[in-house]
Amino acid sequence: MIADESTLARLMAQSQAGDRQAYTVLLTEAQLWLERYFRRRVAPGQMEDLVQEVLMALHHKRATWDSSRAFLPWLAAIARYRWVDHLRRVYRSEEEALGDHDAAEDSEEEAVLARMSLERLFVHLPDKQVEAIELVKIEGLSIEEASHRTGQSESAVKVNIHRGLKKLATLIEKAE
Amino acid sequence: MTMNRVPNPLIASLVEDLAPVAPLKRRNGWLVALVAVGATVLGVGLYEGLWQAALAGNAAPIFFVTNGLLLLLGLAAAAAVLSLASPAVGNRQDAPKWATAMVAIIPLTAVLTTIAAGHAIADLFDSRSMYCLTSGMLASLLTFAAMTWWLRRGAPVSTGVANLWAGIAAGAIGSFAYGLSCPIDSVEHLGVWHIAPVALCGALGRMVLPRLTRW
Repeated sequence: MIADESTLARLMAQSQAGDRQAYTVLLTEAQLWLERYFRRRVAPGQMEDLVQEVLMALHHKRATWDSSRAFLPWLAAIARYRWVDHLRRVYRSEEEALGDHDAAEDSEEEAVLARMSLERLFVHLPDKQVEAIELVKIEGLSIEEASHRTGQSESAVKVNIHRGLKKLATLIEKAE
Repeated sequence: MTMNRVPNPLIASLVEDLAPVAPLKRRNGWLVALVAVGATVLGVGLYEGLWQAALAGNAAPIFFVTNGLLLLLGLAAAAAVLSLASPAVGNRQDAPKWATAMVAIIPLTAVLTTIAAGHAIADLFDSRSMYCLTSGMLASLLTFAAMTWWLRRGAPVSTGVANLWAGIAAGAIGSFAYGLSCPIDSVEHLGVWHIAPVALCGALGRMVLPRLTRW
């Protein structure tokens, strides 16, 4: 089970003070949390890179967490930011399409997690934009393949990806 | 909690690199913003001289309304910037939007009263138009630098709005400070030439800051 908010916040406060033992635990827990957070929204072969990117961002920007505020919304905002950035960079993945990578859910934390989830970003986008982003940026299909799959023209797929990513970038902190 | 996991070499290297950090406190950001406001007013006072009649309360009411709203907009936008420098899901910034809408009433009034009086829009230009526009923008530089510096120290994830509010904060505070020296207190002059720097600085923030605040 992944550590809860109060434990993570305490570990982060200790880490800001330079406690390496607390930091090791925090980063390990954050890694697990992020793997769960990105599940189904990143191709499995790219998950590790994205998690590493967020861990590095956590490290470089650790001073920006204020101990009077919750830790997980801070981490989730950084994770969303890096995820949108990642989607912008990905054009075609060499990896296989996503399968069902669900692990058993920790129901207690689901409500809190759901408010900060990546799904919350997608609900603000039109279906066609979500479909185009999922197929091309997450599943790794080419524009042509996505066009055949969705029935949208190739230029419509491109436009939907462009507009969708632009909209996602504006929702990073807002959508909950 | 962390038993039976494969060690991640990145984690080991980040832990090795760990050094104590001073958390980014919003009150320190406020200190920076207020110093920028104070220094800008002082600079305008020394260079231009503040309008003594206004300080004695002898300006038209719109002078106080405009400059008061500009100051409030500047502070609301600065508060948004300070908040957006520390990311968090649920970090909404609605106050500066309302403040912007309130300030926008002034140029609308200027245009409406000009048209209602039977004048052409070109009549909104006066002898000090461009001087006030450029002076307001020049006076925004210090706040612009302060907001940029704070965003660079922080980790803005809503970069578009953070940069926009940084520009608007700078423009509003700069125009407020410069406005204390300008003796023209008509709604037409204030509504156009003292508000335009806000819009221009906001646009500049959107265009120029992304390359400085991206991380």
